[in-house]
Amino acid sequence: MRIRNAGMDRFSGLYLGALFVLIFGLWTPDLFLTSGTLHSVASNQAIGAMLALAVLIPMAGGCYDLSVGAVAGISTVIVVTLQSNHGWSMGPAILVTVVIAAVAGLVNGFVVVKLRVDAFIATLGTATIIAAFQTIISDGAQPPLPRSPGWRDLTQQTVFGFQIVVIYLLLLTVLVWWVLEHTPAGRYIYAIGGNEEAAHLSGVAVGRWRWMSMIASAAIAGIAGVLYGSLTGPSLTYGPGLLLPAFAAAFLGTTQVRPGRPNAWGTLLAVYVLAIGVKGMQLVTGVQWLNDMFNGGALILAVAFAVWRQRRPGANSRKAGARPLAPARSGSE
Amino acid sequence: MLQVSNLSKTFSGQAALAGLNLTIEAGQVHALLGGNGSGKSTFIKILSGYHKPDPGGSVRVAGSELTFGSPESSRSSGCRFVHQDLGLIDTSSVLDNVMFGRGFPRTLATVRSRRARHLAVAMLDRAGLDLDPDALVGALTPAQKTEVAVARALSPASGEEVRLLVLDEPTATLPHDEVDQLLATIRRVSSHQVGVIFVTHRLEEVLRVAHQVTVLRDGRRIASRGMEGLTRSELVHLLVGDELDETQAIAEKLADPADAPVALTARSVSTQTVAPFDLDVRQGEIVGVAGITGSGREAVLGSLFGALKRIDGEVRVKNAPLRPNDPRRSIRAGMVFMPAERRTRGGVLGLSAQENLSLAKVTKHWRFPLMRRTQERRQTAYWFSRLGVRPDDGSTLPLSAFSGGNQQKILLARWLNCEPSVLMVDEPTQGVDIQARARIHEELVGAAKSGTAVLVSSSDVDELVALSHRVLILRAGEVVEILEGSDVTIGNVTRRTLVSTHEEHHEDS
Repeated sequence: MRIRNAGMDRFSGLYLGALFVLIFGLWTPDLFLTSGTLHSVASNQAIGAMLALAVLIPMAGGCYDLSVGAVAGISTVIVVTLQSNHGWSMGPAILVTVVIAAVAGLVNGFVVVKLRVDAFIATLGTATIIAAFQTIISDGAQPPLPRSPGWRDLTQQTVFGFQIVVIYLLLLTVLVWWVLEHTPAGRYIYAIGGNEEAAHLSGVAVGRWRWMSMIASAAIAGIAGVLYGSLTGPSLTYGPGLLLPAFAAAFLGTTQVRPGRPNAWGTLLAVYVLAIGVKGMQLVTGVQWLNDMFNGGALILAVAFAVWRQRRPGANSRKAGARPLAPARSGSE
Repeated sequence: MLQVSNLSKTFSGQAALAGLNLTIEAGQVHALLGGNGSGKSTFIKILSGYHKPDPGGSVRVAGSELTFGSPESSRSSGCRFVHQDLGLIDTSSVLDNVMFGRGFPRTLATVRSRRARHLAVAMLDRAGLDLDPDALVGALTPAQKTEVAVARALSPASGEEVRLLVLDEPTATLPHDEVDQLLATIRRVSSHQVGVIFVTHRLEEVLRVAHQVTVLRDGRRIASRGMEGLTRSELVHLLVGDELDETQAIAEKLADPADAPVALTARSVSTQTVAPFDLDVRQGEIVGVAGITGSGREAVLGSLFGALKRIDGEVRVKNAPLRPNDPRRSIRAGMVFMPAERRTRGGVLGLSAQENLSLAKVTKHWRFPLMRRTQERRQTAYWFSRLGVRPDDGSTLPLSAFSGGNQQKILLARWLNCEPSVLMVDEPTQGVDIQARARIHEELVGAAKSGTAVLVSSSDVDELVALSHRVLILRAGEVVEILEGSDVTIGNVTRRTLVSTHEEHHEDS
């Protein structure tokens, strides 16, 4: 494609991020321009970014998965409980937890594909059920932190000054990017998201790929939950709180890198641009409510921007396919 | 009542309507007939204020001049329209549906239900309908739905008198046994001194309900006359004319496929709208599917492919049976289908042309761990130049950025690229320009030459006649006839889709 306005469109997030760095760097250089700030922003956002990647996959296929927060939450509880209360070692505990998370995705897929319940409703329902299971498992009490030294090291070892969870995030982003951009699976998922009927008539196994995308989403959420348990320690409540930021990032990501479609690098970019902005503001003002305000505002702005792009004449929208546009007017009649 | 004089409309140099003159009396049912591209729709869209005609023409309704391009003017002068897509809300009651257009009577923002009910009943009465105002529209029969739309159109909003009711193919999707009911409604409406323009393809209805008939062909009025003494065959004659078949049969250049092996076999295949039919298509043969709207033509290809529910029967491609309702397996077995609705069912508008083109055969370019982009680009470039897609360097542009004709070429390329043994296309050239049309026709003929069995379903008789060795004729949900060889002429195909040979001979004798 011809490159216009120097990527102002596709990489506007990078410019915005650079602008944040410049402003806050000039404003409070001692606090903002430190390697400590860099490292803490990087690892603080890692779990949220993973959840954003989780919602991204079904979103590319035209489905909203609202259960990722609940799945991450219960995964933390399960992986910690297995180790602390049942004496499991780390490896098997993680494996079983991720498998359980994937089963949650399997159930989501069943409800969406087989029972034909709209994904929004289906995952809202399963999220609530999963929350109930979490209470059953934890009995309402926060499980103790596993004592094995390896558990903390799983995420908190440092590599080039960064906690290793940041590396996991990069690996996961590469994986999601590879699947969506460089494999037939990605082609199918985007085609389903763009126009389900056309995909079906082109021989795409719509139900199967939609189901797979729900499983992938839940499995990634499970991994994120496991890592959260190691990075921050067990918590009963954090999961649902990460849902909205995850959607904000995934939506904002559709305006970046590959405008018009949900994509992995755009999502990652969105997560960190938001985080840099929030961090800078917090350092300057010292208030705590900025995070929520920023995420909520960004979600609305991102979607408004995406809608505006679609309505522009000649806009390259992918959502348009899902909506029946005015039928082509035949020239002769 | 309605006086149309010298009305013309030109679309990009092509006359869609050329100097139309027409008079319609109050209380008269005036049937408007004509094939695809005859100018009917253009005329109606001018009346409704959607199109602005070329300067020089005029339309008067009850003596007052219509302001062109203004839906308000059309409405205030008393014109009302019922389109084929009725625009009713299925989940609301009859009462709500007829009231939406005129607004509910209110006190303090609260709907006065008894008054609303009273008004609705009056409106239904005026159209002569005996319907329960509380019934959900979704639960009504198709004919009743049309009646609700008529009642709504006749709604006496703010003292405007309804003078002209335009019904645009209201019966096209009605089951045949429900047509009577609607015709009765039309008679009742006209008896209130309202002029009715009735657009239809079904001659039977014209003979039964119309007082006057006007036939359009190529944007010109061919005839306008009273119905008294007009027989069905005279009507068909007006519609089809004596014109010679000017369309050069492209298919004649093809070798006679009579000895070629059969590629597609269908045995007593039936759908919700088509009675069981049999069909064999040989390799290298082009078979057309003809029928007016509502004849079941639209369902034939889809049911063979699996896009539409096949109720019964057997379909084989090169002797391998196909599972019903499973497009993926049909494609694997070598049968491909390009649906008529390019934007909603054919293409993924937001994905690039290249992604759309390879969608049905993505794995061809997949070698772990990456898609072979270069190979895919080369393939896209090949199809772009072979089909003359413009812009020729636009393979990464979203499909929505292309014109209708180019979109259609890209989607055709998707299917040709599968090297199918059976290629089925529905309305392959609807809404595309002349060059694209010629190009698409060449490709269909080319596919047949290389041994593909081709099926073309189309409302464009010219197209069918130009392409096909044989033409399937559908009437009222049945495959009634298969025309072959020299019988495949525009006149024959048009006539047969309208009336049976038996009826025609009966009247001629």
